[in-house]
Amino acid sequence: MILQMNGIQKSFGGLEVLKDISLHVDAGEVVSIIGPSGSGKSTLLRCATFLEKVDAGEITYMDTTAVRTGGDGHAVYLPHKELNSVKRYFGLVFQQFNLFPHYSVLKNVMDAPVHVQKRNKEEVREEAMAILKKMDLDTRADAYPCQLSGGQQQRVAIARALALKPAILFFDEPTSALDPELTGEVLKVIRQLAEEKMTMVVVTHEMPFARAVSNRVLFMDKGVVVEQGHPEDVFGDPQQERTRQFLRNYQR
Amino acid sequence: MKKKLALMLTAVLAVSALAGCGGGSSASQDTGAAEETAEAEETEEAEEPAEDAGVTYQFLDETLGVESYAIGFRLGDEELAQTVSGAVQALVLNGTYDAIGEKYPDIKDYLCLSADGIDEASLPAEGSGDSSFTFKHGFDLDYPPYSYLQDDGSVGGFDVELAQAVCEYMGWGYEAVPFNWDAKDMELNAGSCDCIWSGFTKEGREDAYTWGITYSNNTQGILVASDSGIQSLDDLAGKIVGVQTATSAYDMLEDSQADLAATFAELKVYETYTIAYNDLKAGAIDAIAIDMTAGSFLIAGDN
Amino acid sequence: MSLSTMLASMGEGMLRTCLIFFLTLLFSLPLGMVIMFMRRSRILLIRGIAHILIAVLRGTPLMLQLLMWYFGPFYLFGWSIRGYRFTAIILGFSINYAAYFAEIYRGGFESISKGQYEAAEILGYSRVQTFFKIILPQVIKTILPSVTNEIITLVKDTSLAFTLAYNEMFSLAKQIAASQTSFMPFIIAGVFYFVANYAVAFGMERVEKALDYYH
Repeated sequence: MILQMNGIQKSFGGLEVLKDISLHVDAGEVVSIIGPSGSGKSTLLRCATFLEKVDAGEITYMDTTAVRTGGDGHAVYLPHKELNSVKRYFGLVFQQFNLFPHYSVLKNVMDAPVHVQKRNKEEVREEAMAILKKMDLDTRADAYPCQLSGGQQQRVAIARALALKPAILFFDEPTSALDPELTGEVLKVIRQLAEEKMTMVVVTHEMPFARAVSNRVLFMDKGVVVEQGHPEDVFGDPQQERTRQFLRNYQR
Repeated sequence: MKKKLALMLTAVLAVSALAGCGGGSSASQDTGAAEETAEAEETEEAEEPAEDAGVTYQFLDETLGVESYAIGFRLGDEELAQTVSGAVQALVLNGTYDAIGEKYPDIKDYLCLSADGIDEASLPAEGSGDSSFTFKHGFDLDYPPYSYLQDDGSVGGFDVELAQAVCEYMGWGYEAVPFNWDAKDMELNAGSCDCIWSGFTKEGREDAYTWGITYSNNTQGILVASDSGIQSLDDLAGKIVGVQTATSAYDMLEDSQADLAATFAELKVYETYTIAYNDLKAGAIDAIAIDMTAGSFLIAGDN
Repeated sequence: MSLSTMLASMGEGMLRTCLIFFLTLLFSLPLGMVIMFMRRSRILLIRGIAHILIAVLRGTPLMLQLLMWYFGPFYLFGWSIRGYRFTAIILGFSINYAAYFAEIYRGGFESISKGQYEAAEILGYSRVQTFFKIILPQVIKTILPSVTNEIITLVKDTSLAFTLAYNEMFSLAKQIAASQTSFMPFIIAGVFYFVANYAVAFGMERVEKALDYYH
């Protein structure tokens, strides 16, 4: 088991965005989360990566429980230092890439391993170049993000996340900010990672991609998981009316 | 954090306090009205716990010297200089000169023209001027009581009224050209005015202008606090003396009284006498070199 | 008076002008950062104080502030202000400019997207690392043109030190122009300001160019 989230609740100013959500991810699994906008999918990822604090619920990475529900029903987080050591288990790829514009491609990828993980610089450089080569970006190592296309930038962002060797990688709508003709190259990289048994959770609107790549699909709506299962079952034979309606709208 | 807080509160307080007295001093410069100065100084008094109420400010009996105020024309403009000088003398004869002087008690005593010895026959006749001519009177916009620009844009002062009277006598048009004192030569040379007539000192500038009549003599003195122990010019040795830039007192200390100035610990040059006077009251300097008219004006509120 | 004599008498004033300029920059650039952090503080009181401070410092003329820093201690507390003149000038200039820099910095920080902070957090950067490695370099690039403007204004504002009878270059120019009835000192002053500002603009442009490898 890589990640276990139980009974996650989150409200923004009285509006319940996540209502008692649970998510379990095993090693090597690729989980896709689909659903209409405002369903809480992105919030779930932001809670899993501690960018947002949950109101209640439990989050466990590997054998460390980072968040538990205290006696008063409110979530209790581990102290700062211990929480930081949990953070190294995961990486996150943003919709807007969020590359550091003043760093070259190579420095974007290398900087955190060298300055956060304090690893040997030469060793990191070799690894970073290998990852960039896999992303087909090794020739652009000295370029700056502004000189790259959106698809290339997102691939750098993926490389940057991989360089920290996370146990699980989250993707928050990784192709939504891209022009349609550029989504393919990013999806190809994610597919390649799936073949290498990288554990991933992908929030996406790319239904064919979710169907082809994932081991499991979650359909979320209005803060709850409506249906989950094998992609062929969810896409081919949805059990819930809301799922059917959503997929119908999507195909039109 | 507490320290920082205290510092900032002090800053805010001090700004508001000084906004009050700063306004007072500029009012006295702008309007030249003695009552207003007195009022401003009174408010200041209330805010000055440190100031010894017994201290007054006075001139030393010894003076730095006398200067003549005259009308400066462009070099070579002899004819205009003569006509204007003649008209001024005519105004002395018909009493206008003294009548205007009565309105300015601070300078009345320095007016040096009298009817004795004026040859009426040599003067231009009333209304004899070219009525299409407009006399452009250039003056310092902030030099009360000789000339000043009021808040509402109107001009006033002894020199302004006298110049207006000259134009009326000659039958000329009058145009006021108030300028920044630093720019006086540029204004005159550029032809935007016909003369510099604004408490303008002749000494040291004899060759730079064609001079009209000297109508006022002013004395440069030394202003000190009554408890300073300074009795004479010799006592100024080793003291800090303040003076305003581009004034006759400053010129004198640079020129005819340079030897005296050399005995000072420092000659502090100010942009305005108002600040110098505040420094004198605060004890940051020991004396001020200033013409006695302007000096009397400064101390009027305090003594 | 010959040109070289004029230049010689104005030379000391130029040194004084430069002294005000450099000391003001030295103190106001970091102090602006402090005020900016106060302005962005989570504590309402500190934020409020910074807000009022900036409003007063930017809302009143620098000349008035110089008078306040110099005469304030005497009129408020009766302290002797003999020999305190130069300190007051540097205080007044530094704190006034710090307020302007604080607002420029604030604009710079607010222009950085939240995503930059989030990316740094996910990658495990500490708060200090995030500030110095990720955020500050981008802020510097953003604010550089406004800072250049402010520095150029400072070069010209140094003439306000004459308010407190500090004989910087321009006051000497006025004195010499008056005593020599000559326009030449003003031309010298103009050339001095122009050259100084040209140097500032040139230097800052080089820095901007150096940071121009990304946008």
